[in-house]
Amino acid sequence: MSFMQPSPVKYACSCGILNPINKLFFCRHCPKLRCGYCVTHEIESHFCSNCLENIPSTEARHKKNCCANCFDCPCCQHTLSARATTVPVVRKSEESKDAKKPEDESGDSPAAASTPPTPASSKPSAVPTTKKMYYLSCLSCRWTSRDAGIPDQGVATGTWPDNECLYQARFNSLVEYFQAVVLQEKQEKMEFMRRKTPKQHKFPSLTDRTGLTVSLIRRQMGWNDKTIPKAKAVITPAEATAEVEELPADIFTEPLNLRNVTTIAQRHSQPADQPTAVSSLYPQRRTLWIKRSLRCRQCEHNLIKPEYHPTSIKYRIQLFASCHVPEVVMVRCEQSLASGKSNAILLKFTNPTMYDMTIRLLTTAPTEDAEPAAEGSRIKEEPVSSSPHLRAAGITLSRQNSTREVKREVTDVSNAEIVPLESEFVLSQRDDSKEFDEYVQLPTEEPKFIVWRKGNKVLIRLQFTPAEELPANTDVVLGFAMQYTYVNTVTNAPEKKEPTTHALYSRVFINAGATEQKAN
Amino acid sequence: MEIPDTFYSKDEYVETASGNKVSRHTVLCGSQNIVLNGKVIVQSGAIIRGDLANVRAGRYCVIGKDSVIRPPYKQFSKGIAFFPMHIGDHVFIGEGAVVSAASIGSCVYIGKNAIIGRRCILKDCCVIEDGAVLPPETTVASYMRYTVKGTIEGAQGNPYFVPAAMQDEMINYTKSFYEHFVRTPAPAS
Repeated sequence: MSFMQPSPVKYACSCGILNPINKLFFCRHCPKLRCGYCVTHEIESHFCSNCLENIPSTEARHKKNCCANCFDCPCCQHTLSARATTVPVVRKSEESKDAKKPEDESGDSPAAASTPPTPASSKPSAVPTTKKMYYLSCLSCRWTSRDAGIPDQGVATGTWPDNECLYQARFNSLVEYFQAVVLQEKQEKMEFMRRKTPKQHKFPSLTDRTGLTVSLIRRQMGWNDKTIPKAKAVITPAEATAEVEELPADIFTEPLNLRNVTTIAQRHSQPADQPTAVSSLYPQRRTLWIKRSLRCRQCEHNLIKPEYHPTSIKYRIQLFASCHVPEVVMVRCEQSLASGKSNAILLKFTNPTMYDMTIRLLTTAPTEDAEPAAEGSRIKEEPVSSSPHLRAAGITLSRQNSTREVKREVTDVSNAEIVPLESEFVLSQRDDSKEFDEYVQLPTEEPKFIVWRKGNKVLIRLQFTPAEELPANTDVVLGFAMQYTYVNTVTNAPEKKEPTTHALYSRVFINAGATEQKAN
Repeated sequence: MEIPDTFYSKDEYVETASGNKVSRHTVLCGSQNIVLNGKVIVQSGAIIRGDLANVRAGRYCVIGKDSVIRPPYKQFSKGIAFFPMHIGDHVFIGEGAVVSAASIGSCVYIGKNAIIGRRCILKDCCVIEDGAVLPPETTVASYMRYTVKGTIEGAQGNPYFVPAAMQDEMINYTKSFYEHFVRTPAPAS
């Protein structure tokens, strides 16, 4: 499986990091390969991964990025599920309070059969009715909400109490205060802006109803200027104290039971109070997940934009490299690898696009953008070019962009000599309907290196020689530059509608496997 | 890496008209309740418990060696009930996996020796790592990866856990697996 195993074929991203093709994206506007580091990650939508509910971002912020209905186990961080129990309820209150309430587990516990008959049935006057009560249970570690001392609830979702931590009131007052401060600052700023630019009215009135005259009159009358009410300083600043509570006496006398002490992970999952005892663990609201959209840092076009809905697997924009760049798949080497021994490798090329491609393999990579790479400096910097209409509009993007793209030279060097192919070859376009057609091999004149051709796939035979000085058990890496023609259907210039053809390069590195032990 | 050809002998596998390839060395209980929608490979040693409830598998599924497909049950106060199990298209179930999920979406990869607890819901395009154990009633959302450590990682658009083109990857993988699962050529004699 290409994504479960490390792929032997890696492509060099435009930033110089080697990646398998399924981790790369292709920006049609640049047009270059992009990896996860060359894109900005943006939040597309929030959702809960358990109940699969889409939660709008304002609501997510209001709920502190937690789901309203789902809880995580405080013990093992797995999801809790609600279990129902039926509890007998007696209509008349004459039933003695201390009568043992038998519980009929409708969940998975097999204890249901062994419950004794209800004592209510012994009294003929009281009509026994049952009521469903719910508790939360972890099916991974068998923790239940009863362990935390939470009473069973009549409704499965929505009524579970939140645990209020010790500092909740203090924290809330601080939040309230600073929200008021922000609001006041905003108002002051707006007031200032309003005074600076008086409102242009269609019919200028002689008595300026807003602005200066009002405050002038107020001052003449002996009133003070109209001011925005200051935020009430309700908070008391925190005070440092030198007094530290003494350790309880029993910490020295009682033997420590490590089963009752929480683990680091359990404490971190409950950050508000970080309990030390297992008994004070409390169900935690499940944190939300995000769908991401990825954006090219150079041209600020979207590379990936998923649909909002959590259950949808579709994309509105999807520019995967595997849909635009010819895919190279290593089939096998013809012989076992040995240093200095000539060998051949079979490679399968697949054209994923709707246009024919011409591919040429070059053993030496062409220098990028026809500019000679400086010998001394390994890192080349390229200024970010914002898209022209954005720059024209003078929009400053609040998004934090790295202003410069740092280019790394590919460090993975080829350690085998490749015999160049005598000519370029054509990959025909992808045609999904061809899959169902009867395949007829047309007798065509093919170059010698082409082993087989079917639809948009070509199998070629590439001869190479691993370097002489390679020790045994080292991976042979074949590196070449693949030049391919790419027909771009989108153009940056709006007046040019017809697709343009580019000749693009990709550097491809193939790990052909380890060399064998030399035979003595 | 191209998938190498897997050869099977003519005696070992039965091929149906819709292209299903089912090994003879499997335990298919209640076979009238098992629906394979075509081009499904059921490898040797697999057990499908159709006697408990209906099992439906979509197109291009691979049910690996020694795996167990067992419909989920739920215990009520008056006994237990089994529920039918639906498996989508292009689902790969690795060797030795025990699957008791309520539903499995399309383009799902289940690794070797993974254990899927009863009534789990695996949505489309999720990955269960090799050897992962899912407790009962776990939901794994689309583009999520359930790790061996028991955590859920990923989400759509995150390129590090589940490939963004998971759907295409799984379609290609299961199709090429089917194409490379071929009968041993008869000896030329």
